[in-house]
Amino acid sequence: MLAARSSAARNASRLLRNFATVADTAGVKVAAVDNGEPTSAVTFLVKAGSRYQNKPGVAHALQNFAFKSTAKRSALGTVREAELYGGVLSSSLSREHLALTAEFLRGDESFFVDVLSSFVTDAKFTRHELSEYVAPVCEAESTTVSSDPAARAIEVAHGLAFRNGLGSPLFSSGHNHITADLVQEYASSVFSKGNIAVLGTGISQETLSKLVEKSLAKLASTSEVSSTPSSYFGGETRIDSHEGPQTVFIGFGATGAPAAELAVLAAHLSPQPSLKWSQGLSPISASIPPTASVKTVLLPYSDATLFGFVVQGETAKDVKTAASAAIAALKEVGSIKPEDLKKAVAKAKFAAASSIEGRIGFASTLGAKVLAGSPSNLDGTLSALDKVDSAAFSKASSTLLKAKPTFVAVGDVQALPYADELGL
Amino acid sequence: MTVFGPLGPSLAPWLRSFKGFRGLLKSHADWYANLAGYRQMGLKYDDLLIEERPDVERAINRLTPRETYDRSYRFKRASHQSVLHKNLPKDQWITKEEDIRYLRPHVEEVVKEDNERKVWESLAVSRK
Repeated sequence: MLAARSSAARNASRLLRNFATVADTAGVKVAAVDNGEPTSAVTFLVKAGSRYQNKPGVAHALQNFAFKSTAKRSALGTVREAELYGGVLSSSLSREHLALTAEFLRGDESFFVDVLSSFVTDAKFTRHELSEYVAPVCEAESTTVSSDPAARAIEVAHGLAFRNGLGSPLFSSGHNHITADLVQEYASSVFSKGNIAVLGTGISQETLSKLVEKSLAKLASTSEVSSTPSSYFGGETRIDSHEGPQTVFIGFGATGAPAAELAVLAAHLSPQPSLKWSQGLSPISASIPPTASVKTVLLPYSDATLFGFVVQGETAKDVKTAASAAIAALKEVGSIKPEDLKKAVAKAKFAAASSIEGRIGFASTLGAKVLAGSPSNLDGTLSALDKVDSAAFSKASSTLLKAKPTFVAVGDVQALPYADELGL
Repeated sequence: MTVFGPLGPSLAPWLRSFKGFRGLLKSHADWYANLAGYRQMGLKYDDLLIEERPDVERAINRLTPRETYDRSYRFKRASHQSVLHKNLPKDQWITKEEDIRYLRPHVEEVVKEDNERKVWESLAVSRK
């Protein structure tokens, strides 16, 4: 009786973890899911990441131009009015997408959808806002990134691995001369109907479709932005830095749609323990010195993947020991035991499933699928992970090792190891 | 000056509203502007705006680099003429066509922003 009731209760409270339908509203893809949350969120996901920019730093400037003055309301008006409604406006940039998000109380959707769409349709991009608000924020963000060795190494590694397209820098440096006209030009090329997906959580599909139809009707329906298909190059670079721990990034790239095998590989090698204060069962974790750390990095994009290790340590010697251990473990994955593979698949499935648990992960992971026109759920990803067997797994890892690695050392370049010293 | 905002008091909009009066006013205005003597010193009317106030300072920062350069060149030239107690040679005088209000749009925009801020600061919120 008790068991039956609890299972019934579990079924009743089960949340919908995908967008039920994707409607094409006036040429814009609109998807919404309502799980009865107390607040709503609407995200405009635009194919306007750094990959599509025609000049370095433009996408970053466009991201920070979000919610500045438009033909409808000034920057101050947007902020004050959003505060009166008690909403939160945010924008975030990845290498492929620009996400403009508004989170608000139920019932205020007409105002917040209007704020988002007025930026997309008639932002002013004034010169003085660029110099007074946007440029200082861009500069602060890129300074923050350049003072974090791990983030800096990954940023540089993208340039080495993919050169242009995915390799173009995510952050604008002080050397990029960005003008308001350049940002305006980029915005008019990316803000078109085929390039935008509108994603809502805690809001019904009909309400969102109606609002989007009204506000985005006048948006141009020019062709989608395009970028050359990614190809992987690899290379080695060393950056002298005196901030933070000694850091090495060792990356391996693969082109084509992200393979499930790489997600399993990252889960298998990741020394991140599932239980706090324990060592974890990864083949790497036993052989890294206590003052060093190894993190696996898996960055899947629409047509390429960058997999790698961020190795950090107090001294260059620690980094060398830990990095050699990681490389040795990567070389041995071909002879993985079946139970280890099962464990890694379970771990990868959990990581994939829990990534859409939060609102941001939900919108960005499934939103990218909506934008690409593929089914907007995780079923495909999870079943692909289930299908990974040891033959496919060892094949994927050996092809990964055949290509030229991407090696970035940040810190004391005299002492940090070279790629060939680590057995690559 | 402060009472009337950064651009100072002006009767022009009111005077302009008398239709038949306009032609007479225009010729008189041109005569007066030439008489004021700033054009003979190589200055434009907007160079004379009081700039030691936050709103005008912000407006000046919004000029393009070229406009900022030209503005400081005119100031330098005018202060040199002031030292010499002489007007510029006649061919270097600012003509009526050159004397455009390059700073006024920016000042007006800044004033509009400041007024909007005042409105938001003193807003009384009522529930619908």
